[in-house]
Amino acid sequence: MKILDIALNDFTRSVRSLFAIGMMVVAPLVITGLIYVAFSGAGSENSDLPIIQVGIVNLDQVPADVPVALGKTLADMYFDESVAGYIQPKIYPGEASVRSAINNQEIQAAVIIPAGMTAALMANQSVPPVRILQDPTLTIGPMVVKNMAQSLLDGIYGGSIAVQVHRQRFAVHGIAENSINLQSIIHDYEGWFTAFQRELFHSPQAALVLVTPQSAGEEAPSADPMAGILGQIMTGQMIFFAFFTGAYSMQSILKEQEEGTLARLFTTPTPRLTILGGKFLAVVFTVCGQGLVLLLVGRLLFKVQWGTPTSVLLTMLGQVASATGLGVLLISFVKHERQAGPVIGGGLTALGMLGGLFTVGMQMPEAFTRLANFIPQGWVLHAWRLSLNGAPSAEVFTTCLILVGMGATMFAIGGLRFNRRFA
Amino acid sequence: MNDDLAIEVKELRKSFGSLQAVRGISFQAAKGEILSLLGPNGAGKSTTISMLAGLIAPDGGQASIMGHSITSQPHQARACVGVVPQDIALYPDLSARENLSFWGKMYGLRGAMLKSRVEEVLQVIGLTERQHDRVGAFSGGMKRRVNIGAALLHTPAVIIMDEPTVGIDPQSRRYILDNVKELMRQGMTVLYTTHYMEEAAELSDHIAIMDQGQIIAYGTHDELIRLVGEQTRLDLGLSVEAEGILPAWQEVEGVFQATASDGIATVLVDDSNRVLPRLFESAGKAGVRINSVDIHEPNLESVFLHLTGKALRDD
Repeated sequence: MKILDIALNDFTRSVRSLFAIGMMVVAPLVITGLIYVAFSGAGSENSDLPIIQVGIVNLDQVPADVPVALGKTLADMYFDESVAGYIQPKIYPGEASVRSAINNQEIQAAVIIPAGMTAALMANQSVPPVRILQDPTLTIGPMVVKNMAQSLLDGIYGGSIAVQVHRQRFAVHGIAENSINLQSIIHDYEGWFTAFQRELFHSPQAALVLVTPQSAGEEAPSADPMAGILGQIMTGQMIFFAFFTGAYSMQSILKEQEEGTLARLFTTPTPRLTILGGKFLAVVFTVCGQGLVLLLVGRLLFKVQWGTPTSVLLTMLGQVASATGLGVLLISFVKHERQAGPVIGGGLTALGMLGGLFTVGMQMPEAFTRLANFIPQGWVLHAWRLSLNGAPSAEVFTTCLILVGMGATMFAIGGLRFNRRFA
Repeated sequence: MNDDLAIEVKELRKSFGSLQAVRGISFQAAKGEILSLLGPNGAGKSTTISMLAGLIAPDGGQASIMGHSITSQPHQARACVGVVPQDIALYPDLSARENLSFWGKMYGLRGAMLKSRVEEVLQVIGLTERQHDRVGAFSGGMKRRVNIGAALLHTPAVIIMDEPTVGIDPQSRRYILDNVKELMRQGMTVLYTTHYMEEAAELSDHIAIMDQGQIIAYGTHDELIRLVGEQTRLDLGLSVEAEGILPAWQEVEGVFQATASDGIATVLVDDSNRVLPRLFESAGKAGVRINSVDIHEPNLESVFLHLTGKALRDD
């Protein structure tokens, strides 16, 4: 019971601190809100993105008698009337010219479609990657361009799977493989998918996108591109500030040490483990409370679809466990409240950067992406991405387990250090 | 084990590195009495009560509170004690009532009992009207009162007060001293540390004078005064550094001791009326002008000076 009293006392003090409320809730919402206002037009029902100038380089040339031309399909998507309100495409002959256009700020992003893309698919070989070049100072516009390419490429990979399935079925039934049949299948699939894409951009609410397989009864992810982008941005903010909250709440133990209330607590008939446990529990309460508020406001204000209740619950659990664990561990190395500012500010900003929180939606180098696997923030981001994309709960559960494990380890080390300090 | 004793300390020791903060002290406090630990800053008073309050572990010796050993039964010992720390140890962002409720819970109070004790303590400390105001907005004296109130909630048998009147206004100081006497009337044992000898003289049944980690004298106020006999203390303000005149004054008949600090010469004499003219005469011969004279009848300050050769006040 005393453990709860101590935890509730700390929690009450946290929510009464204007600074804490500002950093825990207001700051992530304001940052996301500013991005929302800047790019979506506040108060407008329809998304109102600024015009994005896109350069297209199509190196995928196919003979005239081949009915399928994937490069052309991809390029045409940017010329479709459904995206004319915010995409202004222009064809460039090669990479050099499109790079020069970006450098001169004539365009914000470029899509380079590789040579041999169609041929690779027809031959059932690995499809060479489509590259997106972008003005490094911009985020939202290039992200939209990238998401459009990604959605079509998902379809292309679907076509590749369709080809493989047909080949297997031909083999099973002893039918000789006929390239005309394959071209026909791909052609039909391409026609269906193009129509589907058009429908998606004309009427996002009516379309259904299955990015990854879902469990029965699970909700589909958001089809509104703006809500999806805001979801990613807000996720980065929420994670960063959740970890800040974990460390900031734990800092109360240093504050109490300096104010003398911790020593006074030790003079009461309350075991020291109970006192420390109460302090740790307060961090859990605070991180939980903050997460719930941000999820709710994100849903109501920015229409972010966080995922299914199970996925959101699991991801929140992982976030709370790892943010609490890291908070306890970080503060266990700090002696005075004066030291806490640089440690929390510097340490969490560095970890946030390495975890990819500030580069959400950007194409990052492979080494950087791998590094995020060693950072709790990187795993929380991964869990939220899964949840946002409607991944099955089982997949989120695995990530949650990893996060709880990381959190428990950090918590144990930090807890032992505190116990030794105050024994 | 003596059932009449609330606090029993035997050969208690504590060192911090090479510094021996408490050097094997022993004392006792009977139930219902006020015992003061009197001594200058650094004498070892706070270290002693930190050990009794369970904040730090002693290096050696024994101590018990209401018969519970502080080392083998710390939980039971702490349950009998209310500690009033020297500095304000409250939550400034909580109200007086919230602070008292929280500390009451830490002493195991719940429900109706907690509520009733909080009401009573708020009345005792005179803050019923301001109970919902945040402690951070209180004056220093009001904070001190809440600081004391938080230690009274569970009606402990022993109250340990560590210099509770440091840095507060005379009115609040008076309020606190009256409260301490009231606690004693209610049957509580009070262990009170101070470096104000007037407080120790006014409050205490027994006084233990500490210096450099040791108890150098123990007894009632009158017993301690008798240690210095009928000596009177003279504080003489001089026009020049006092050290030069001291050897001459040591030779004057009726002078027991002559010391100096910061331009003030402190002289212990048997009869001030008889000795003062001789001191003036001696100073005149040495070309030293006496600017001021303060005459102090024997008190605890004199006792400390007599025992240690230095003044009790170091602030």
